[in-house]
Amino acid sequence: MALSNDELKAAILNKAMTAPKPQLYIKDFYECDPDTKPRAVKNAANDLVKEGKLTFWSSGSTTMYAAKGRAKDEELRDTAEENK
Amino acid sequence: MPKHDTPLLDELEKGPWPSFVTDLKRQAEKKPECWDILGQLELSFKDRITHWKHGGIVGVFGYGGGIVGRYSDVPKQFPGVAHFHTVRLNQPSSKFYSSAKLRDICNLWEKYGSGMTNMHGSTGDLVLLGTKTENLEPLFYELTHDLKQDLGGSGSNLRTPSCCLGKARCEYSCIDTQALCHHLTMHYQDEIHRPAFPYKFKFKFSGCPNDCVAAIARSDFAVIGTWKDDIRIDQAGVKGYLKGDYIPNAGAHSGRDWGKFDIQKEVIDLCPTGCMWMEGDTLKIDNSECTRCMHCINVMPRALRVGKEQGATICVGAKAPILDGAQFATMTIPFIKVDPDNDFEEVIEVIEKIWDWWMEVGKNRERVGETIMRVGLPTFLTVMEITPAPQHIKEPRSNPYVFWGEDEVEGGWERDVKEFRKRNAQ
Repeated sequence: MALSNDELKAAILNKAMTAPKPQLYIKDFYECDPDTKPRAVKNAANDLVKEGKLTFWSSGSTTMYAAKGRAKDEELRDTAEENK
Repeated sequence: MPKHDTPLLDELEKGPWPSFVTDLKRQAEKKPECWDILGQLELSFKDRITHWKHGGIVGVFGYGGGIVGRYSDVPKQFPGVAHFHTVRLNQPSSKFYSSAKLRDICNLWEKYGSGMTNMHGSTGDLVLLGTKTENLEPLFYELTHDLKQDLGGSGSNLRTPSCCLGKARCEYSCIDTQALCHHLTMHYQDEIHRPAFPYKFKFKFSGCPNDCVAAIARSDFAVIGTWKDDIRIDQAGVKGYLKGDYIPNAGAHSGRDWGKFDIQKEVIDLCPTGCMWMEGDTLKIDNSECTRCMHCINVMPRALRVGKEQGATICVGAKAPILDGAQFATMTIPFIKVDPDNDFEEVIEVIEKIWDWWMEVGKNRERVGETIMRVGLPTFLTVMEITPAPQHIKEPRSNPYVFWGEDEVEGGWERDVKEFRKRNAQ
């Protein structure tokens, strides 16, 4: 049976925070609940972005998701390099 | 910001053509960061490598596309372009806008960005080049509230839909491309502004098979206007061309004297399927063989017109990447109704069937055309519930094996193979 929307969001967030890779493709979240349709997983992940718990990372051609603070951010990286 | 010595770039100002270097120098008088663009580009020419990094978490609140992060990898040397993000604006259908609107956009970009634009990007968007992260939210606010413009698509989103001039200015158009483009843009706002797919997905709409937006070469989902019945022939018009009363090609290519119009040489012999001929001074067409190349109609628009029963052909899976191979779209649905009165529901049904399948089966960073190529066209047609037509077949098969579907085999894949072999063991 498919997870409820809240359960699905919790599973997505958990995966984003614990996965070895900081940035994940939308398809990586499908395994959070194989019974849920991809479009519902996408909607749940995008809701988490609106809530400020996930963030988008985009190369311009592809978009990935990361838990807030885990994404590789060029500006933060540049600042960190300057502070070294 | 200091000027930089740019001897290599200066070479690009020497030809008789317009030079972006000259434009950038002119713009740098108002926007000093443009000196740093020139400086960094000169360095790239010397180093033979780009000094741009792209990607990041930049964007505006609530949107997952429309802004492409750009950063310099030598920010200390060129601080003016340390951040130099690209902003994509959703262009109006057919790119019809007033000069007042363009002036407003340019003024806004002078205020918040470098002032440099790309009209239009190959995506179709109005592309604004170069701003800093802190300018994005105020720019977006004024753009949406004062100018009533929206951002376009980027990343794994539905990209900004794009269409030809359509019925607004073109007599060949078989569908109202502007209405379709606008309707789908509004219908799929969520998919345009937030990532939804394994990779990018592009719609393009052409009113006729001339395909002026090159939908068949550039879009994952190409809707190309066509007709089902016969090409309309005005035999008096044909005679007009034969007598020289009308200029062929509607006056195009008239820069030199091509001699007297020769219908045999210029039209009939060039028909790719050989479906036209003259009987006396009457033009005949075997419409069942017409492949909709548009050549005869383009040459003799006063004599020939597209048919009356109009709709569209849907082709799926083109891509034009910089790396890896370009691929044309595959004709998937030969004819579909394109009806604004029912909000284009036939087209939307096809789109969503493709998306549901591709979102599940497509790999990360795999365009739908690549997925089709990987699983094979027969599988895709089965998913789409389309009966294969001769036009779906690229070439006669060379493989002697016959591949059956499970439902075509008695007992399916679950039958007792050992029992079957026992019976055939003699």
